[in-house]
Amino acid sequence: MKNAARAPCDFRSAPFLLRAVTPAPPLEALRSVCDAGRESIRGDFEARGDSLAALAARSALADRTLDSLAAVLFSTGPSRPAEFSLVAIGGYGRGALFPCSDLDVLLLFADARAAEAASAPGAALVRALWDLGWRAAVTSRLLEECDRFEQDNPEFTISLLDSRFVTGDPALAASLLRKILPALVSREQTAIVRALGEMTRERHAKHGNTLFHLEPNLKDAPGGLRDFDVACWATAVHELSRHRDRAAPESGWAALLGEAAGAAYRFIAAARVFLHFHNGRDDNRLTYDLQEEASARGIGSPGGSPQPVADWMRSYFRHARAISRLAKRALDEAPTRPTLYNAFEDWRARLSNSDFSVHRNRAYCRRPAALEDPAFLLSLYEFIARHGIEPALDTESSVERVLASPGYAPAWPGDPAAAGVSLRRILTLPGAGVSLRAMHRVGLLDAVLPEFRSVDSLVLRDLYHRYTVDEHTLLAIEALHALRHSAAEPHRRFAEILAEVEQPDLLYLSLLLHDVGKGMPGDEHVSASVEAAARATRRLGLTPYERDLVAFLIRNHLEMSLTVQRRDIFDPEVVRVFSELVGTPERLKMLCLLTYADIRSVNPEALTPFKAEMLWQLYAAAANYLSRSVDGARIAGGASSDRELIEVVRGSSALASLAKPLAAFLDGFPRRYLKLHAADEIAAHFEMAHRLEESLVAGEPHAAEAQLRERRGQYEITVIARDRPRLFAGLTGALTDWGMNILKADAFSNRSGLVLDTFVFDDLYGTLTLNPEERGRLLGDVEDVASGRSRHDQPPHRHRAPRGAGARSRSLLPTEIRVDNSCSATSTVLELVARDRPGLLHLVSELLADADCNIEAALIDTQGEKAIDVFYLWRRGKKLDDAEAESLRGALLHGLEQL
Amino acid sequence: MTKIEAIIQTSRFESVKDALKEAGIEGMTVTDVRGLGRQKGHTEVYRGREYSMDLLPRTKVELVVPDRLVDTAVEVILKSARTGKIGDGKIFLSKIDEVIRIRNEERGEGAL
Repeated sequence: MKNAARAPCDFRSAPFLLRAVTPAPPLEALRSVCDAGRESIRGDFEARGDSLAALAARSALADRTLDSLAAVLFSTGPSRPAEFSLVAIGGYGRGALFPCSDLDVLLLFADARAAEAASAPGAALVRALWDLGWRAAVTSRLLEECDRFEQDNPEFTISLLDSRFVTGDPALAASLLRKILPALVSREQTAIVRALGEMTRERHAKHGNTLFHLEPNLKDAPGGLRDFDVACWATAVHELSRHRDRAAPESGWAALLGEAAGAAYRFIAAARVFLHFHNGRDDNRLTYDLQEEASARGIGSPGGSPQPVADWMRSYFRHARAISRLAKRALDEAPTRPTLYNAFEDWRARLSNSDFSVHRNRAYCRRPAALEDPAFLLSLYEFIARHGIEPALDTESSVERVLASPGYAPAWPGDPAAAGVSLRRILTLPGAGVSLRAMHRVGLLDAVLPEFRSVDSLVLRDLYHRYTVDEHTLLAIEALHALRHSAAEPHRRFAEILAEVEQPDLLYLSLLLHDVGKGMPGDEHVSASVEAAARATRRLGLTPYERDLVAFLIRNHLEMSLTVQRRDIFDPEVVRVFSELVGTPERLKMLCLLTYADIRSVNPEALTPFKAEMLWQLYAAAANYLSRSVDGARIAGGASSDRELIEVVRGSSALASLAKPLAAFLDGFPRRYLKLHAADEIAAHFEMAHRLEESLVAGEPHAAEAQLRERRGQYEITVIARDRPRLFAGLTGALTDWGMNILKADAFSNRSGLVLDTFVFDDLYGTLTLNPEERGRLLGDVEDVASGRSRHDQPPHRHRAPRGAGARSRSLLPTEIRVDNSCSATSTVLELVARDRPGLLHLVSELLADADCNIEAALIDTQGEKAIDVFYLWRRGKKLDDAEAESLRGALLHGLEQL
Repeated sequence: MTKIEAIIQTSRFESVKDALKEAGIEGMTVTDVRGLGRQKGHTEVYRGREYSMDLLPRTKVELVVPDRLVDTAVEVILKSARTGKIGDGKIFLSKIDEVIRIRNEERGEGAL
């Protein structure tokens, strides 16, 4: 507590000479009493572990000491009534004086004359208290001074909320406690509550806004004893402003909440008393060593029975959670007058809908009985995730009751796949962190995802992690969401690739599960996490492709970090090995983001700008490798290394018996093809190829196969045909004529001259969405072009006028074209980065065809307004020479200028 | 006594540490550092944008050894840190006047 600036408030600085005129107290005798009393209290605590008794006994001992000292120093007695009052404030006022805490005392006077007369005895009182071993902090005030709320020292008014008369003039103290204080609190309730809220927010921010520290501060961290005080103070403000009296704070708390918080207070207070006795100073950090000792001694445990340290720490976190909830609730319910902030919170109330309402920035369920329906229960947390609003404690209590009911124990009663869909939606919403924490707090996350239970409040000790495993995981998810608002380097560039990830829900789900193995038996957590994730993703209804992707990310979640830290990432061989492990750009983006979030949530300083730069350099090098090495590694259908894969694809195909044709179909495709598509997709491609071959054998020279499907709001068309000149240009032209904006494309060919092209596009004009029957006509047009029945050779300028992305104002993005003859053995690699616009890909492919270039492979991508296209080209069976490459580059630059 | 400061490739650190341990030299101080020598920085072009790193990551290993072990230590580091490529790092040697163990104020080689 701050001491007031007004003289003579700080008696420790009083003139030395004043000692001469002040009666000397019997210090030796008092010291014996104090020392013996303190030793006795310590002995009792160590024998019985009753922290509340220890705190009360220390407060009572301090009361007796003050009483004795005051009688001597101020010469009071029956013939000379006191003109002052000694009032215990702060923790001492609450009767909770911790062994090494300050003894906060208010020396109260009715007027300035009395204060002046007490100046010397007051100074002597402070000296005597220190001499007797008390860490005294004595503040003097006139009664009228206590009637002001000091904006720059709100702590003083807040400390008065705990004030308690000790000795001196009881009437003076009664004036403070019964008149001044209730009036002040009633008048300044808004300012006091706001100050309490601000002080709490600042204190929590110093501790990373989380209670899940591996070595927590028992007093100041969220969920610590100071939060319990905040709850008491907020309740006192409520009681004083409403009833002009201070009831016991517990009377203002909901029974269950108060009970849990009371138990939590006893546990954490016991741990703090233990810390103070052990350290001999006001050091409240529960270090690893002291966790071991406290758990071995059963500090705070019922009956003082020893516990394994992990269990004891879990108890600590459970209790800290209870206190944290109590403090939040008390601050929520504290009375305030209308303010601009209240107005903002009222505005948030407009987010209410027929199921859920928002009041004072908390989400309430309008139909608590409906929470028994698992789907409705999860929809509450979707609402919370969508708006980032904490659930109200009443609502949370209703959820807890539902989860404890027989219908919910021991297993999730709803459809696990439906829960999976809901969980994946929650993970991608902006308030996912708020929602997941709320779900975890009440046990709902564990109910939906029992694998996560293993890391609940799990402390794993190492030099780097600062938080429990579950908290680290939730922080990682929040770190990724925070990227969406990151405009500053080095985070911005990671934000760009996050925006490109096709299935961010799988990335978040992988993060949620990446460390669950840490709470499972075994020395190696990665394998355990992969196994647990496999169970979870199967139960939650993910497709085989999605399950593989999640398993890949979890299995390799340390790989990128290890490569950055222990390998020379500028060594091309290191980049090659890493890139081939990853396989595809999409996996690379997801692994990079998972690594970014994982490092960032280890501790606030873990992701240094240098480390972020290294991570990015590896990402960029690997991305370049993947786009420049497509034709380097090809499938050899007969090779033993590919047989296992062929068997997997066969298992997904209705043409299971056709092992040889399947091997022939895959023979010569880039290996990347296998990682881009799930086994069932490859099987479907094979079946298309099989039908095509049958048509050709049946004497139909103009045959092609095409397949259209809708995926996550976009369309994907797959075309299989015999290779021929201008095929790729024709296909892009057909799609562009239909008004489709091509976002991504892959073009691969196998050894027998079969071409497999995949285009992902936006239906800019809603043609297919509004007219489902047009899908067949589009497929027909594409098949006609693919088979050569019709040619698409209209020049690009005849296409529809650009709209949507292409209609935006011209950006300053310059066109970049790089031609590389070194990274492929058989092709010239052309990399083009340009402003995206409808018709761009068709124009480029027409110009390549005009230049007599055969497209061996193509990788087409867009990032916002930027198109990134990579082509593997050859002309007349050879790479382009330098002159041809330069001429092609010039033709492309000129052509793109005209578009 | 001689102080050996070796700036090495981070990827070679485990090999260097193991080789020194095998040679009976275990005490060392290790720091992640960034530097620039003959091997200049690195530039990666990604989607038409250049990303440059002027200073490259290295690991600095510092150890103080009795003079009789200097040649052994240097040889071990040279063998285990070398990849043969530019950027393998450097070794610096300097004389040390005195060493004092803080715990018991022991001085000289015995305090190493």
